[in-house]
Amino acid sequence: MPQRLRVVTARPAIRRARQALASCLLLTLAGRVEAQSSMGTASAEPPDEAAYVYKQLPDVPVLGAGADTTRLSALWQDRPVLLVMVFSRCAGTCSPFLRSLKSAVSEAGGAGSAYRIVVLSFDQADTAADVEAMGANAGIRPNTGWVFGIAPPSDIRRLAEATGFWFRWDPTTAQYDHPSMVVAVDRGRVLRMLVGATVSGTELSEIVQEFGGKFVPAYALPGKLAFRCFEYDPTSGRYSLDWGLLLLFLPGGFAVAATMSVFHRASSRVHRDAHVRRETGSSGAGSAS
Amino acid sequence: MDVTIDTIGWTNVEARSWRRMTLVWGLTVLVLLPVLVALGAYMRMFQSNVLPSVAPEWFYAVLTLHSLGMVGAWFVGTMAGISYLLSKYTRPSLAVARFAYLGTIAGVVLLIACTLVGRFGAGWYFLFPLPLYAQGVWSPWATWTFFAALATLGVCWTIWTLDLLRAIAQRYSLGTALCLHYLAGRTAPEVPPMILISTVSLIANIAGLVAAVIVIALFGVQALGVDIDPLLMKNLTFFFGHLLVNVTMYLGVAMVYELLPLYAGRPWKTNRVVAMAWNALLFLIFFAYFHHLYMDFAQPTWVQTFGQISSYLLSIPAAVVSIFGTLALVYASKMRWRLASILLFLGIMGWGVGGIAAVIDSTVEFNVRFHNTLWVPAHFHTYYLMGVVLIVLGFIDHFSQDVSKAGEISSRTKWTVGLLVVGGYGFLAMFYWGGAHSVPRRYAVYPDEVAQGALYARLALAFIAVLFLGIVIYLWETGRRCLKGFAS
Repeated sequence: MPQRLRVVTARPAIRRARQALASCLLLTLAGRVEAQSSMGTASAEPPDEAAYVYKQLPDVPVLGAGADTTRLSALWQDRPVLLVMVFSRCAGTCSPFLRSLKSAVSEAGGAGSAYRIVVLSFDQADTAADVEAMGANAGIRPNTGWVFGIAPPSDIRRLAEATGFWFRWDPTTAQYDHPSMVVAVDRGRVLRMLVGATVSGTELSEIVQEFGGKFVPAYALPGKLAFRCFEYDPTSGRYSLDWGLLLLFLPGGFAVAATMSVFHRASSRVHRDAHVRRETGSSGAGSAS
Repeated sequence: MDVTIDTIGWTNVEARSWRRMTLVWGLTVLVLLPVLVALGAYMRMFQSNVLPSVAPEWFYAVLTLHSLGMVGAWFVGTMAGISYLLSKYTRPSLAVARFAYLGTIAGVVLLIACTLVGRFGAGWYFLFPLPLYAQGVWSPWATWTFFAALATLGVCWTIWTLDLLRAIAQRYSLGTALCLHYLAGRTAPEVPPMILISTVSLIANIAGLVAAVIVIALFGVQALGVDIDPLLMKNLTFFFGHLLVNVTMYLGVAMVYELLPLYAGRPWKTNRVVAMAWNALLFLIFFAYFHHLYMDFAQPTWVQTFGQISSYLLSIPAAVVSIFGTLALVYASKMRWRLASILLFLGIMGWGVGGIAAVIDSTVEFNVRFHNTLWVPAHFHTYYLMGVVLIVLGFIDHFSQDVSKAGEISSRTKWTVGLLVVGGYGFLAMFYWGGAHSVPRRYAVYPDEVAQGALYARLALAFIAVLFLGIVIYLWETGRRCLKGFAS
């Protein structure tokens, strides 16, 4: 695993030389990282939660700071897991996202007892200590249900594939482009996903309730679905009828129309046959109608 | 006494062709019965933890095949029976019956392919959007093969249904077929109850099959990337599913109205109450399915309330009038208790038992407790296995004796009935017992919290063995007569 360059204080001349060297090394390293570490297709749209729910996650090793090594299955075996993927060099959303997650976890409660939060770096350049330091910067104290670590690149790819996560190295900014997301995992399978730069305490509380087996109702946003039966107004709690309801009347209407048509055709035929019989002077058995 | 159904206006060749067609349907149902029961036993074995090395995906694939197979088999069983019995009064098309048979076989082949080869396991209700999110359990081709199977069956059955309505329309006007003149106090022209019940059921069936077509089309729209309202899809799916199952039962009841009087030696005529009951049913049947959506919080309360009221009212006209009518017909009559008449009688009573469990489950306050438990399969297995299945078996036996002119052996009849009743109700009791003890339905393997479900599943297996023995004796006796009739 490549070691991340550390900036240290030194005399200015030496410091400048080191910085120049560091820049060169970083660029070289970045080129290598770009070649090896982009994963998935970048998209402005968040991953579709429905496509991943109930998917089995790969059981990957989690390498913690020091000699701590465990596996994801060992973590999700006794309690559910909130899985987060970040990288420590992130100059964008990762640190604010972690702070937002910490705040949401405090609001929802239950961290450590009802579930664990596993923060993994997808950056090959990160060490477990880097990720842990990142958590410390976000004000997350260890041993409160949070697990920080890294995983081998191939396992990170498997995890990303199973959750719809992607990352792409941008050489112009020397940063990874990636979504921010929390994957709720229950007994190894994806239960829910929250995607966005901030984590809502309310939404996380819903996930915690789902971890406990509680049913959490969800409403589709107005205008997002075709053929709605009813439109629900969450502020007033009232329903209004929508166009989709008409489709529910279609089968009954078709059945009535088809029946009338069948009987009408038969009736016309009976009358036509009777007319022909009258004209030809023959007689036949009448219908019971 | 002659219990033969006379046909009207048929040449000997035509009548013979009809009998052969009905025999083919009957033999097909008799072949499917033990296979589908074996699939059911396989699922209970799974839940008994006797197949620990088999992936749970197989449970759901078999669940899908077993449930759709059973619903389909008994639907075509009743349709074939009705077609034959209607030929006494009207002229259904033999060509359409043959087309329906070939289409049904094609649909069944596709169904077997998508479940046993493709491992499609979304259940018979294929609840939206599950078929489109296989999560690697089954392949996309299995999903589309499943819908192709449904479309094939739906098209064939719709044409078959329309043809039977056409046949009725050739002799009766719509008002007469629905016995509206009885409601006005007139009894002429006399209309057999079977015509009334068949007309009501066939009209409802068209609506159900059209709903299925809309559901399949909307699945296609969703696959193209347009998000569809899941609530609409669930409403349409259960509109179709509930109607198909109910229509199957009602067509079975129509056969009882037609056949049981032959054994009781008394006529069973249409009257004002019967006419009112079945016309009320034609309205209520379209709304009773709402009880499948009680757990859907997004469905407004007034819809749920209407669903409960419709479910209650639906049970009175159809079930109460028919069960009371059956008892009145049999009471103090010179009833000829043969295998066919016993099965027809037990079928109506089984419908009653299952109906009571269904009404309990359609009560919102009970449903919130029972909905996802084994109580649900308990009630629909009751009115299916001990209701419509017995009725269809009764019809096939009646028909086999009719065409083969071969009598039955009394001791074997007793064994058949005894084993079917003990095995059937014992098997059902394990479902009810499990439901009352919160054992969830649709679980391949029970979690520790409801581990007692495995014990009930093992006990159920013992009863299935008894039931199977009864089926084997029935198949030996009735199947033999069917083959004899076919040869003649």
